[in-house]
Amino acid sequence: MSGFKDIMRQSARGLGFLALVIVVGAALALAEPRFLSPASLNGIARHMAANGLAALGLTFVVIVRRFDLSIPGVAAFAGMSMGAVIAAGAPLWVAIAAGIAIGAAIGLVSGVAISRFGLPDIVTTIAVGSICAGMAFLYTGGRSIFQNFFQVGITDLNDARVLGLGVSLWILLAIYAVAWFVMQRTRTGVAFYATGENPVAAHFSGIATRRYIALAYVLCAICTVLAVLLILAESGNAETNKGANLMMPAYAGVFLGAAILGGTSVLATLGGILLITMLLDGFALMGVPYYYSDGMISLILLAGVLAFSDSARNWLNSFAMVRAARHAASGEKG
Amino acid sequence: MTMTLTRTATARPHSTRRRLSRLITNLWLVAALVLMTVMIASQRPQLLDPGNMVAILKSFSIMVMMILGLTWVIAAGKIDVSFMQVAALSNMLCAWGLSQGWGWWPAIAAGLAAGLAVGLLNGWLVAVMRLPALIVTISTASLCASLAAALGKGTVIRIATPGPLASLLEPHFGDAVPLIMLPVLALAALAWFVQERLTMGRYIYAMAQNEAAVRSVGVPVVGLTLVLFVFSGVCAALAGIILAENLASGQPMIGGPYLINGLTVVLLGGMMVHVGKPNILGTLTATLFIGVLFSGAALLGLPDYQRQIIQGALLLSGLVVAMLAARHHGERRKGG
Repeated sequence: MSGFKDIMRQSARGLGFLALVIVVGAALALAEPRFLSPASLNGIARHMAANGLAALGLTFVVIVRRFDLSIPGVAAFAGMSMGAVIAAGAPLWVAIAAGIAIGAAIGLVSGVAISRFGLPDIVTTIAVGSICAGMAFLYTGGRSIFQNFFQVGITDLNDARVLGLGVSLWILLAIYAVAWFVMQRTRTGVAFYATGENPVAAHFSGIATRRYIALAYVLCAICTVLAVLLILAESGNAETNKGANLMMPAYAGVFLGAAILGGTSVLATLGGILLITMLLDGFALMGVPYYYSDGMISLILLAGVLAFSDSARNWLNSFAMVRAARHAASGEKG
Repeated sequence: MTMTLTRTATARPHSTRRRLSRLITNLWLVAALVLMTVMIASQRPQLLDPGNMVAILKSFSIMVMMILGLTWVIAAGKIDVSFMQVAALSNMLCAWGLSQGWGWWPAIAAGLAAGLAVGLLNGWLVAVMRLPALIVTISTASLCASLAAALGKGTVIRIATPGPLASLLEPHFGDAVPLIMLPVLALAALAWFVQERLTMGRYIYAMAQNEAAVRSVGVPVVGLTLVLFVFSGVCAALAGIILAENLASGQPMIGGPYLINGLTVVLLGGMMVHVGKPNILGTLTATLFIGVLFSGAALLGLPDYQRQIIQGALLLSGLVVAMLAARHHGERRKGG
């Protein structure tokens, strides 16, 4: 019975979300007809791939009720490291493996510090991010790395197409599919959610909660590395500021998706990041100056989180109750 | 009151070793500061030149101004990552107002009003609407950064005429101390008094321990949270105005580096006097510590990114030490 109700509520939210995507898309298309051109849609798919991977990583961390602010730092260091490996003449897969290994190591450090030693998540990840951002300068002192980038084939990740869609979008969809399956259909996923919702109960149910928290940070760092890999593929060089714009869209995607679709999940993040990327690319097409876009994202994030918060709902409910009471009172008088 | 009780309780065994260990936990950062200053000065005597001292103390004053409010927000168990962008916004608003011919006082008022408004927004969203403080302040931070950049269309706004604060930034007392330090220290002393002697200070620390319990004994938690965020916003805005005067310009990107600096200082400072709890005296000492460290690093010729690594490592090791100290303290209290 309640299961049926839940399904109804979920599908109502899903339909509402689809309607929102259509309304936003239509509004942007009206304001700027080029928004629906193939070039623009391709751009959205590419940007969504990079933003979506970073947001997916953050999703794991948010599910275990923590935060990660080291995303820009990890992206900078891993991006420069992969660039240095490519410039040294190694094949692409070596560079990617090195990047993933570095990301996993950094994520492990943050994750163990937070879960095993109980350090505060926000400040720890800010510190780790700062160290990584500094280490990004170790290779070249801050100069761009571009040697061997075209020979090694990294740009294919951006340009190549399979069945009419860009490779980066396929990568995104494949990773999201795996993540969705693990989080929704396996015991591992249940353990992640249990760790976030009630760590004590999860602990006594035999879940190694510390291990799952650490794992969330490792996954977040690896996803960040993959996101910055796609950014390197798009620009054809590595710079220390490449990952600087990954964090705000990631937070907005995760929390907006959770607000609209009723809970943090892989699918909610995918929906949130689709909306955010559409808006970002739409604004860019309309010629909105770069400095407004971050502000608008954060405004949308705040409005979304606020509109769907429990307090707002309670407030609206109490308002409705007062009105109903008044109505009833006036009815008695009349 | 609670404080006095715990103090007498731990002092009762009155062994000199206990007293010594308490003195060390209270003042080790001061000792480290003196030691570091001596070490750097022996390598680079320029560190203590009046010109360099003025520079260190000026950035000390601005930094203290910026994070005075943040200290209490973190002490209350909340987080505010918008303070540096509030400073950037008030800095740009001040410079923009001057470029529109408002004159200095209206421009300063506008900057402070911006800090007040953002503080109220943060406080309302966190205290009344119960949203997570990180999500709220990360959003308002990028909102402020966006507005700050938009005011100057992405570039710097120059300020032609020196304002009423200019004389405060001039060196005095043997050309080594900027006058601005005195009002900033006076404000910090007032904050120290509030924190140590008034019930408000007790409430702040109690909130970090158990907000629900504090709420149920009748402490106005919502109002207090609102006040803390507003105080943080106004302090940061004031720092932004001092920066406008100091740099004779409004700089939209000025906020960035202050985030990690501010958090490092507050948490490092939280490791002295009341171990594990951010406090005003600790913030003052840690700000000077970081100031001397950075000035020394620059004199020793370390590039920027190495400073960034050192600072991150400092913050991380600070967290570990604070954790260990808190655990040690807790065990000892349990044992006694």
